[in-house]
Amino acid sequence: MSAIRQKMLRVRNPADLDQLLAKPTWSVESLLPSKSAASESPKISTQQLHHLLRLSALPAPENAEAEQKMLDTLSAQLHFVGEIQQVDTSGVTPLRAIRDETAAAEVEQTITLDTLKDALAKEQVVGKHYKRIQRKIDHVDAKDVEDWDVLGSAERKAGRFFVVESEMPQE
Amino acid sequence: MLNQLSRTGHATFARRPYICQECLRRLQSRHIRSIASPAPAWIRPLSTASDDRTPPKEDAPFRKALKDAAKKKRLENRGKAQSSDNPSGSSEFKSEKWELTVGIEIHAELNTARKLFSSAATSVNDTPNTHVALFDAAFPGSQPHFQRETLIPALRAALALNCEIQHRSSFDRKHYFYQDQPAGYQITQYYEPFARDGHITLYPHDFPGGVSPEGGPVTIGIKQVQMEQDTAKTIQQPPSTHLLDFNRVSHPLIEIITLPQIHNPVVAAACVRKIQAILKAVDAVTAGMEMGGLRADVNVSVRRRDSADSSQQSHSYHGVTGLGQRTEIKNLPSIKAVEDAIIAERDRQIDLLERGGIVDGETRGFTQGSKTTRRLRGKEGEIDYRYMPDPDIAPVVVGKDLVQHLKSSMPLLSDDVIEMLVDPKRYGLTAKDAGTLVVLDDGDRLDYYLEVVEILRRIFSEDFAALSRVGKMAGNWVLMELGALFKTTQWSADRVSPSELASLIAHVLRKQITGRTAKLLLAQKFDGDARPVDQIIVDEDLLLRPLSRDEYLAMAQQLLEEKSDVVRDIVEKGKHQKVKWFVGQMMARGAEGTVEPGTAEEVLRLLLQLPPMEEQRQQMKK
Repeated sequence: MSAIRQKMLRVRNPADLDQLLAKPTWSVESLLPSKSAASESPKISTQQLHHLLRLSALPAPENAEAEQKMLDTLSAQLHFVGEIQQVDTSGVTPLRAIRDETAAAEVEQTITLDTLKDALAKEQVVGKHYKRIQRKIDHVDAKDVEDWDVLGSAERKAGRFFVVESEMPQE
Repeated sequence: MLNQLSRTGHATFARRPYICQECLRRLQSRHIRSIASPAPAWIRPLSTASDDRTPPKEDAPFRKALKDAAKKKRLENRGKAQSSDNPSGSSEFKSEKWELTVGIEIHAELNTARKLFSSAATSVNDTPNTHVALFDAAFPGSQPHFQRETLIPALRAALALNCEIQHRSSFDRKHYFYQDQPAGYQITQYYEPFARDGHITLYPHDFPGGVSPEGGPVTIGIKQVQMEQDTAKTIQQPPSTHLLDFNRVSHPLIEIITLPQIHNPVVAAACVRKIQAILKAVDAVTAGMEMGGLRADVNVSVRRRDSADSSQQSHSYHGVTGLGQRTEIKNLPSIKAVEDAIIAERDRQIDLLERGGIVDGETRGFTQGSKTTRRLRGKEGEIDYRYMPDPDIAPVVVGKDLVQHLKSSMPLLSDDVIEMLVDPKRYGLTAKDAGTLVVLDDGDRLDYYLEVVEILRRIFSEDFAALSRVGKMAGNWVLMELGALFKTTQWSADRVSPSELASLIAHVLRKQITGRTAKLLLAQKFDGDARPVDQIIVDEDLLLRPLSRDEYLAMAQQLLEEKSDVVRDIVEKGKHQKVKWFVGQMMARGAEGTVEPGTAEEVLRLLLQLPPMEEQRQQMKK
């Protein structure tokens, strides 16, 4: 990809630009296994495929043809992942989510004694000599989040319970 | 061994952040990209403690005889084991040859008002599915809201386990499909837990009978403590119906992970017991194991202690040696189950290995009362959790001031309390009594005891001899006498107030009432007699009248006349120690507690015309 950047730097006038855009300099194809050398792409066994499907709670392929198609697709995807992993990311913090990561934001988000003073005020110390902390157990008002029909979308229910049919874990 | 190394190496990769698990699995057969191999984490040097077990040469014959006898017994037992399914008879011999290693994971329900990622209330026995926010039910589009106050008990627990609180921690998703978990993943702290590198020390008082199986204190490292969500409560209706209550979904939990540094089932049980007590002491949890508030998983492996086998001494320790293949036993519901499951699994693995088999890395289960563990999932069925950082939850940043505050306001922990109670200069209790006081009634009994002692100390502030006894004396009355009365009913400090008990004990210490009278008085107070102890003693004329000197003399005279043969032994044969026998007789004859052994001996010696024995009298005073 650095090749693209170098080429772009050399663009000086509109004519050059047209020329540059006329032909692709790089294709996502390069990250996919070439059709001729299919053997290079990672091999996945039928067993591994079924294991992955089970982990993902996905249905097993209906026939051998469908299974082969899945294997080929997965193989191509893994080849792609392999190529992506060639990029040297040492020293780069992985991106988990887009957030304000400035020092000021961190200070703002820090959970301090002040943040929790209300919660700490709901504790009491019991005992005259052997002093212990006790959270006062009083009524928690959570109507704002609990006041909805929890079982409303359930396909099966029994009284106040959700009902699930499932086999016991294997012995 | 090689296989073991590559497995552990692989496990270490799996713990590294952001490496795709599927790719990792494939790494074993094909390369996608080579990754430098870090040192396997589960390797530790073979313990040198086994060196000490090598017998000194000189007592070899005796030791050999013992060994041979043990071997014979083992062979017999093995014959039996195959038929009677009880291989544990030879475990003592086996533990000489095999070293057990155990690591523990403890899940504890935190004592919080609200759930971990919603402001829905926590609850124990409320109407099913009444405390569920949209996010708790994994309703599409709902978002997690980390409840910051759930950190309070979590931080206290970690601090009490001597952990280092991490300035920054974060949450990850652990994927698996099961009906008790609506999102298809559990939110936990896999890559960046909030606390690391703690430890717990087990002292002799932490073991049943006050004896550590390792001789002295045992310190076990705590690898990390992490916060995570609980799952739904399931009520099974056989054969295959499950009723689900989501009230418990996302109740905050902490998972405490110890290092594999435990080598004895008794130590493992003591470790779980102590962690439970510590969590309770800092109010981090509401319920113990018996109420389902705490669950434990154990990792068990065994390996040969080749060093203990003198025939193999040439195989000296070449630095690092790995542990044996481990199995995990999940969801142990009690401390007894922890100990029993480890014993059963240890014996199963040793038996398997001695018969030339191989231990598979698998998940096993244990039913309380059972003698064996049973296989739950094999390696091929093992779940791959596909951990990933949860993008919807911001990292948790904990301020230093908060940690400092929680540290400085930490309640006294049981080790400190016990140390204080057994100190002969302070309370002088036995370690056993001290340990009992700490665990009874959530600490209320201990507080009561301390109050009783304080009042007694005020009463006897001038009397040093009595002062040195009040700690032990009060311990006895609070635990034994009052304990017996409270055996079948809930403890209450108001039933017999501390000042009334102190008054009672003071009367006994001053020998104003007999022990038997005091016990009856206590029962009377316990049953609701509203009069003060002083009043009852006066009303019912319970005060002991000390014997006069004439009464002592009369009693001694009569006794000496009755037992003239013993008198002859003393006077003619010089068996002066038999005076003590007479003292005992006098104490038995007088009303309880009325005969002072010192005065009795003095009077006896006078009548027998023996010299008073200073030395002995001093001993009596002690």
